[in-house]
Amino acid sequence: MSTDRMPDERPARANAHREILLVEDNPDDIELTRIAFGEAKIANELTVVRDGAEALDYLFARGDHAGRDPHQLPSIVLLDLNLPKVDGREVLQAIRDNPVTRSLPVVVMTTSAEPFDVEASYALGVNSYIQKPVDFERFVWAVKQVGLYWLVLNQPRDSA
Amino acid sequence: MLLPLPTVGPDPSMSDARAPECPLDDAAALRRQLDACRDELAALRQEQATFAHGISHDLRAPLRAIESFSALVAADATLAAATRSHVERVRAAAARMDGLIVALLELSRVSRAELQAQRVELGLLAEWSVAELREAEPGRDARIEVDPGLYVLGDERLLKLLLEQLLGNAWKFSRERDCVQIQVSGERAGGRLQLAVRDSGCGFDMRYSERLFQPFQRLHGPEQGGGHGLGLAIAQRIVERHGGRLHARALPAAGSEFGFDLPAAADA
Repeated sequence: MSTDRMPDERPARANAHREILLVEDNPDDIELTRIAFGEAKIANELTVVRDGAEALDYLFARGDHAGRDPHQLPSIVLLDLNLPKVDGREVLQAIRDNPVTRSLPVVVMTTSAEPFDVEASYALGVNSYIQKPVDFERFVWAVKQVGLYWLVLNQPRDSA
Repeated sequence: MLLPLPTVGPDPSMSDARAPECPLDDAAALRRQLDACRDELAALRQEQATFAHGISHDLRAPLRAIESFSALVAADATLAAATRSHVERVRAAAARMDGLIVALLELSRVSRAELQAQRVELGLLAEWSVAELREAEPGRDARIEVDPGLYVLGDERLLKLLLEQLLGNAWKFSRERDCVQIQVSGERAGGRLQLAVRDSGCGFDMRYSERLFQPFQRLHGPEQGGGHGLGLAIAQRIVERHGGRLHARALPAAGSEFGFDLPAAADA
């Protein structure tokens, strides 16, 4: 479908080549997200961290990720809510509490659509909340929309 | 511990069950007992919410893996016809299970949602539900009549869900007819509005009318439009939350009628 193609004359967005950070503990979901990004022709590198503690270590360049430049932020964080150690809500809170990461686009992608989870996520300042559809074609479609919006259309704040 | 599914019936009132043990002459003791019941109820509600959350997340995640990896296998163009058919059955089963999980969560949510009562025109919600049904099946010929001025006092989201269930049923069970015919009417009776949703579909056997509203009970197989068996349990629960009662009647000339009452709102 031609409408699914990215427009050719798009402005050079800082986002276009930056990595995507996926915070996800379920190996099936990691594999499916990879495949979905592939099918959606989103070429940005996908960095995967497996729990909330590692997500924060990565973003704030500490622990196992101490060598990283903390000002090199991903274009977007795809965050699951139910995570081992530090759960998604706490990760979101820590991201919003830190001036460096405060404006980082965070999209919750999770299985739950419980009003309680949606409410908590928005209260903590999430940019978007997406329930992962069970149907695979719809999942690919959703991933494609997220990619188009956040990596192509959206103008991010200049990171320091 | 897993909580049993919410049963269809009036809100749990544990004080009734314990009343005989209460020292009726001691108001303070009675109040303490009432407080304890209230705490217990709050704890149960909390546990139910946790349980619903667990279902929502932990059952659906593996289901998504089953569906998605089957979809990827099915996408292989070199697949033998029999294998493809088997994989498609796996996908269809996963989709049915997803529908069931969604309905279970809805039933649980309907039971514990806080009611946001406001003035609602039921006719609008009926038109809305029908518009969705038409959109899903544009080729279907349908004639819908809705009485004007059906104003009730209730929770709009839940009442929309109620009409979705009732009209969706009427629609589904009219699949053998050339034209779907549905009538939504209402009559004021004191402070209540007595409503009826009538269809000219395949109807049902009146001998089983009580079973219609029990979760997981089906009177029709999948070929006749039968689903997960939770739709009418959800509908009954919504009517009960509004202090009413939903009942069903098979119409002599084929078709069914679902009658229920809701708090009436002023007409103007």
